[in-house]
Amino acid sequence: MARRKPRTLRIALASTLLVAASVGLVFLSAYLLRLDREIRERFAGARWALPAQVYAAPMEIYTGLELSPTELVHELNRLGYREDPHLAGPGSFVPSRSQIDIHVREFAFWDGPQPAQTLAVRFGGERIASIARIGDGAPVDIFRLDPMLIGSISPSHGEDRVLVRIDEVPQLLIDGLVAVEDRQFYSHFGVSPRAILRAMLANLRAGRVVQGGSTITQQLVKNFFLNNRQTWARKINEAFMALLIERHYDKDEILEAYLNEVHLGQDGSRAVHGFGLGARFYFNKPLAELEPQEIALLVGLIKGPSFYNPRRHAERALARRNLVLEVFLADGLIDEAAYRRALAQPLGVDGGRSGGAERYPAFVDLVKRQLRGQYDEADLTNEGLRIFTTLNPRVQEALERRIVEGLAEIERTRKIKPQTLQAAGVITSADGGEVLALVAGREVRFAGFNRALDAQRPIGSLVKPFVYLTALERPGEFNLYSILPDEPIELRLPHGALWAPRNYDRQLHGPQPLYRALAQSYNLPTVYTGLRVGAEQVLRTIRRAGYEGDAQALPSLFLGAIGMSPLQVAQIYGTLAAGGFQAPLSAIREVQTKDGEPLSRYPIAVRQTLPDGPVYLIGWGMQRVVSEGTGRGVYAALPGHAIVAGKTGTTDDYRDSWFAGFSADRVAVIWVGRDDNQPTGLSGASGALPIWARVMRDIGVRNFDPIPPASVELLRVDRLTGLLADGGCSDTLEIPFMAGWGPQEWAPCAYGGEQSAPLRWLREIFGD
Amino acid sequence: MKRIVVLGMVLGLSACASSEGQRRVWTPEEPTIVGQPVATPAPSVPARPLPPPGISDAPGQPQRAEDLSGAAVTALMRQARTALDAGAPQQAASALERALRIEPRNPFVWSLLGEAYLAQANYAQADSVAAKSNALAHGNPWVELQNWRTIANARAALGDPSGESAARQRVRELEQWLQDGGGR
Repeated sequence: MARRKPRTLRIALASTLLVAASVGLVFLSAYLLRLDREIRERFAGARWALPAQVYAAPMEIYTGLELSPTELVHELNRLGYREDPHLAGPGSFVPSRSQIDIHVREFAFWDGPQPAQTLAVRFGGERIASIARIGDGAPVDIFRLDPMLIGSISPSHGEDRVLVRIDEVPQLLIDGLVAVEDRQFYSHFGVSPRAILRAMLANLRAGRVVQGGSTITQQLVKNFFLNNRQTWARKINEAFMALLIERHYDKDEILEAYLNEVHLGQDGSRAVHGFGLGARFYFNKPLAELEPQEIALLVGLIKGPSFYNPRRHAERALARRNLVLEVFLADGLIDEAAYRRALAQPLGVDGGRSGGAERYPAFVDLVKRQLRGQYDEADLTNEGLRIFTTLNPRVQEALERRIVEGLAEIERTRKIKPQTLQAAGVITSADGGEVLALVAGREVRFAGFNRALDAQRPIGSLVKPFVYLTALERPGEFNLYSILPDEPIELRLPHGALWAPRNYDRQLHGPQPLYRALAQSYNLPTVYTGLRVGAEQVLRTIRRAGYEGDAQALPSLFLGAIGMSPLQVAQIYGTLAAGGFQAPLSAIREVQTKDGEPLSRYPIAVRQTLPDGPVYLIGWGMQRVVSEGTGRGVYAALPGHAIVAGKTGTTDDYRDSWFAGFSADRVAVIWVGRDDNQPTGLSGASGALPIWARVMRDIGVRNFDPIPPASVELLRVDRLTGLLADGGCSDTLEIPFMAGWGPQEWAPCAYGGEQSAPLRWLREIFGD
Repeated sequence: MKRIVVLGMVLGLSACASSEGQRRVWTPEEPTIVGQPVATPAPSVPARPLPPPGISDAPGQPQRAEDLSGAAVTALMRQARTALDAGAPQQAASALERALRIEPRNPFVWSLLGEAYLAQANYAQADSVAAKSNALAHGNPWVELQNWRTIANARAALGDPSGESAARQRVRELEQWLQDGGGR
């Protein structure tokens, strides 16, 4: 018995152990199966939620384009092209005085891919004289530079990334990454016992987890599936998952996932993940174009993206980068000469928040709003859509600079407390309705209140062209030379109050021809005209121009008591600029899937909503605003031969200062005022106008030169009487009238119908 | 004194007002008398037919887009035409929009865009865009002819028979005028 007992005990013990082991094995199997499924699901499907990528409009380069070599170099720098005498790869250029050779990057445009190519752009003065392919000298009529990535649409606290394929990744990055992070990557099976042992010893010595023996595979698992807490249970989980991943996937697949997953920095609330976005975020160029020292910096960042943040801690980042370069050299990844060259380079990090970051938050805000009508939020933040917008970086740059500098200058010269003024501006293409530039406030990189879209401010005298346009649609009653009274008006409003509008200068100027009342922005003739045609009709005209708000048709409308955002003003002025053809404003041209499949297009749409004749007449009147009226100040910035049309706007007590107007192909609107709606002391002419004029000069103004429609005839009239004039009259003016509705009688000074030439001569000599 | 000299000249000239010398002397100052034909054309040259209203009679108006457009726009229009012929009107429209960004007031580009919209069965836009081209055409008969064809087809598809017949009438007038040698 004494012998059986231990034996029974042994058997019992063995059975228990066996059962326990079996049960353990079952659990372990179940556990591993679960992990396995989790891993495969994660790897098989879409691995990341990809925010939509937003691109600016690509720059079209063509023979005849007005562009100086300096401007083209500026543009290439903006796109992260580098100067390289050998044009070694895409994204490089060689400038000289009259020619720039460019190795243009490939890009998948909406209408098809444009391959990488080397081109010689030759200049004749300030314009492009010819373009030729460098290889065979074949002439090229037109090509596009790759568009600038200007933002992405990620959830408010989301991850952002630009996916890369392993075959697009520079070999130095792969080798360097392995050298720094996981030397045994290509030989281990997911975990590295040697590395773990070394780490364990270190941790035991320290009494806590201080060092990770993590392989690249384990780091990927950690980022992919697990939280960041350093516990033993998590470590074990991680190791098993790493083993499983290695069973299913080859080293390249694992490495590719790692390259896209790794966290490389923070941009406000947006997390920068993966080397594709890292290259854009820090260096403003594609990954394939990185140089050794740039690769070294990114590899070095993995250890601590915020600790080594090159924008915040440049010295730390530089030391880390140089350490990584040393490893590159020691491992023979670069030679001594390349090492020396790389070491001598500065950090080279692109200034500020750029490289795909929210560089143009106000514009991207408009893009998002336009997309939301058509796409779900989830599509925008997850599907990696490619959004091609209308933003023109050159125009945007000019608008930003002029607003920022303009406000500071106004505050300085008019002794206004600094940083109290605000402004917003919009520039659109006159005929196509594309929003080319948008500024929402003087902090142009700051995504705050979007004044360009959301500030509803009374437009003041900007409404006057629409009052007079309504009148000019009645050619039997009004023409540009109709004499309007400038007399006090008192009006009992529907709610009983008495309304007695006055001119801005509190003066009366006597009867005025319609065009001059517009040019001088006199209030009383405008109210008189408005009352004749009716507030409903004026509001209807504004609606036909593209206004969609819910303003009331009250007499105060005639003086601009109608709230609009700068964008809305750009819409209604755009219809005037385009001869009565309304083009709904759009910030988007096309949307592609992440694989480059066309998804939707936002085509140019136009519709004639205002009659061509009266619109032509009002355009003529708006030219007089700048040539002889309240807008004369534009010629302080614009050359005297430039022809533009526009209107100043000032509201009660100088709370809002507006200028809106157009050249042949650009509509621009500027608003200046205060967020608290207090008076600024600025009229439209002293606040918004100088900014408007400088922007127009910067973007290269084309003369406003509308084609007279068949419904209009040009007549010479005597200024004194407004009747037909000819060589007999000395003070005359050529004015367009609706055909058949011009003055029919000759002015007293005119020869009139007198057919006998000698008699005319006699009259010329002796007078009447 | 001066007046007397001038008066003398005037009297001298008015004396020969009825003679043939008058025209030679006065023409520079004097506009042609309205409504009177200036000279009888030589019998061998056929009379120029009057253009339909709104159409310019000026000879040498550009007949094809290439006569008016820069190299870049010509290349893009060729691309658009190829796409349109290949049944890819969206691609055509995309190329034409690129062209419009370069030459926003080129009536030939707007005209072809009208055809692209027609091919996409977007009839309202085809009509509008062709009207826009007309507004920019400076009375060019060739551009307007194409536009009125587009407009007629668009209105037919929109179920607007009276609009269509007005457009067809305009097409006939222009065809007739061009056939008679107008616009040359």
